[in-house]
Amino acid sequence: MVGMEHAWLLPTLPFGAFVVLLLLGPYLPRRGDWLAIGAVAASFVLFAFMLADLLGALDEGHFEGVSSGIDWLRFGTFHVTLGFLFDQLAAVMLAVVTFVGTLIFIYSTGYMKGDPRYGWFFAAMSLFVASMVTLVLADNLLLLYAAWEGVGFCSYLLIGFWHERRSAAEAAKKAFITTRIGDVGFLIGIVLLWREAGTFNIREIFEFAEAGGYSREYLTLAVLLLFAGAVGKSAQFPLHVWLPDAMEGPTPVSALIHAATMVVAGVYMVARTMPLFDLADPIALNVVTSLALVTILMSATMGLVATDIKRVVAYSTLNSLGLMMVALGSRDVTAAMFYLFVHGFFKALLFMAAGNVIHGTDRQEVTQLGGLAAKMPQTAAAFGVGALSMAALIPFSGFWAKDAILHGVSTHQNALVTALVAFSAFLSAVYMGRLYILTFTGRPRDHHAYEHAHEAPPNMLLPVLVLAAISVVAGFWTFDAVGEALGFPGSIGKFVFFEEPEELKFPSAIAVASIVSVVVGLAVAGWAWWGEARPARVLGERFRPIYQLLWHKYYVDEAYQWVIDRIVLALGRVIAWFDRVVVNDTGVDGTAGLAFFTGFELKFLQTGRLPNYALAIAAGALIAAAVLLAVRV
Amino acid sequence: MIPIQHFLVLGAILFALGVYGVLARRSAVLILMSVELMLQAVSINFIAFAAYLAPQEFRGLIFAIFVITIAAAEVGLALAIILRLFRNRATANVDEVDTLRW
Repeated sequence: MVGMEHAWLLPTLPFGAFVVLLLLGPYLPRRGDWLAIGAVAASFVLFAFMLADLLGALDEGHFEGVSSGIDWLRFGTFHVTLGFLFDQLAAVMLAVVTFVGTLIFIYSTGYMKGDPRYGWFFAAMSLFVASMVTLVLADNLLLLYAAWEGVGFCSYLLIGFWHERRSAAEAAKKAFITTRIGDVGFLIGIVLLWREAGTFNIREIFEFAEAGGYSREYLTLAVLLLFAGAVGKSAQFPLHVWLPDAMEGPTPVSALIHAATMVVAGVYMVARTMPLFDLADPIALNVVTSLALVTILMSATMGLVATDIKRVVAYSTLNSLGLMMVALGSRDVTAAMFYLFVHGFFKALLFMAAGNVIHGTDRQEVTQLGGLAAKMPQTAAAFGVGALSMAALIPFSGFWAKDAILHGVSTHQNALVTALVAFSAFLSAVYMGRLYILTFTGRPRDHHAYEHAHEAPPNMLLPVLVLAAISVVAGFWTFDAVGEALGFPGSIGKFVFFEEPEELKFPSAIAVASIVSVVVGLAVAGWAWWGEARPARVLGERFRPIYQLLWHKYYVDEAYQWVIDRIVLALGRVIAWFDRVVVNDTGVDGTAGLAFFTGFELKFLQTGRLPNYALAIAAGALIAAAVLLAVRV
Repeated sequence: MIPIQHFLVLGAILFALGVYGVLARRSAVLILMSVELMLQAVSINFIAFAAYLAPQEFRGLIFAIFVITIAAAEVGLALAIILRLFRNRATANVDEVDTLRW
């Protein structure tokens, strides 16, 4: 019987698949896609056993997670373990990673069919899953950081998968560099925590912090730096710019990395280190909340005008990530993890359904789509489920999770924050409604694409339909009865916080307000975009400056470009000048040049004529004698 | 006994003649002979100082023997070089031999 102590197998399986595919990929039948799928599916099965083991342990009462590992680095008495910690928080995340991962791998066999680098795609995806699982299970910050960079690297590889396309190569670089900016802060934060505590182990750091080992200001600085890593990875303002561009990657990549797993790693990391945020100054959590609010509002409004189907879904992802961060800023880890859990399903669903549209029509601008519900009914239905989940309509899973967040926010934050979050719920209903209407209803705007449109093949449709079914029901885990029926100690809150569960309540006022705002939002979307979309066009003309502002993504990219062109590159030119002129020309070439010049001038003393040398020797001897005489006298 | 100054003056004159020969002559053979003059001037100095300062010892005399030996070897070598030079260039004029340079 495999149990929680076998956690190390979880990342090992996909990593082994990666190595085999890398070395033997071209020689395997079907380029080895079955091996990658088998590895990630085996991880899911293994996870299921581990979960059963975990539930058994929970039944016995007291439980704090199982740690296992081997010594990694050892310097005298100080050592770092390659350690894995399996607890409830990791279980929630792993359920998403391994289950959604398996479905996306199956989906990829259809979406990537015929690609010249088909085998490499599965190899890179396997490496990603291995890194992601390591990130989730890591029991120390150093291993977490290594896996954190690992997923970032895989993201870079996969965004730039079609690197022949210049935009894809640029997007990959942008994603990598932007997240690196946050990662620098993350690493400094980790080192700050280690410097005082002398350990990287997360639990030992908690104990150290609870014993008052860190001063308040020091801890605040450290957690803010940790949060900087989350800002980059989870694409929060002001480092959100890479995520929409990351849609240049293949759609399965967007579904797995940029929706379900990697981008929520920041949320997961903050949730993991929440005890530190609790002990730090409230400023830290206020920063989390503020940045998340800006992210939510920016992304929701940008989603209103974007025309690329994947980009709209990407903006909705930004919106969701902001919601999770707001929940964390309100100390509501349960709500954040609950949203993370259901978000993994419905956002992967949205991306894969969008991928079916792209696959079927070869178009991804909604201005060239329309009326596709007739051609691809199952995809349309599945996308509708995902959109309604994202819009948080009762009883879809997004509703329960967003309601939990709204409740958490309303209890811990002031009315303004609550109102803004609720307003974003309205906005997300509008843009998800718009996206569905423009893609699947109305008259086709590109007849050629419409004629050729076809429903996706079974290997692409099945994962979508499975996720659609889960997106409908996953939210019911908010009820104790559902959780108990499935063998959990109760609702997700009771599962995650077994010892001291946070109650998930549904005050009717919030639920009603939420439902009303979603329904109104959907109605607004229907009014504005149904049919000829005349009201939307009129509004766009009427409020042209606002439309332009949103269309240009608040000019954030332009602002960064300006900063890079005018400040970074100008500074770079100064440094380059210093390097070229002072270091290279004067220092390196100057020394060599001086030696060369001296030698060049002095070589003419070598006339090759014996008398000259003889005269020089004689004169030298005379001068030496004269000097000696003068000194003696 | 002849005062040491006489020997030293003789040595100096010989040495100066040698220097003059090396500087003024253009024939390699004559330059070589001038060098020999300078060596013998040095030998005279050695012997004179040896006789005056430590007559019971042979250190200065040994130096003179060495100088003569080395001079003989050196002349053998140098004459061979000059011979080869003359075979190649049909001249022993050092002004015309200036290819050993930059």
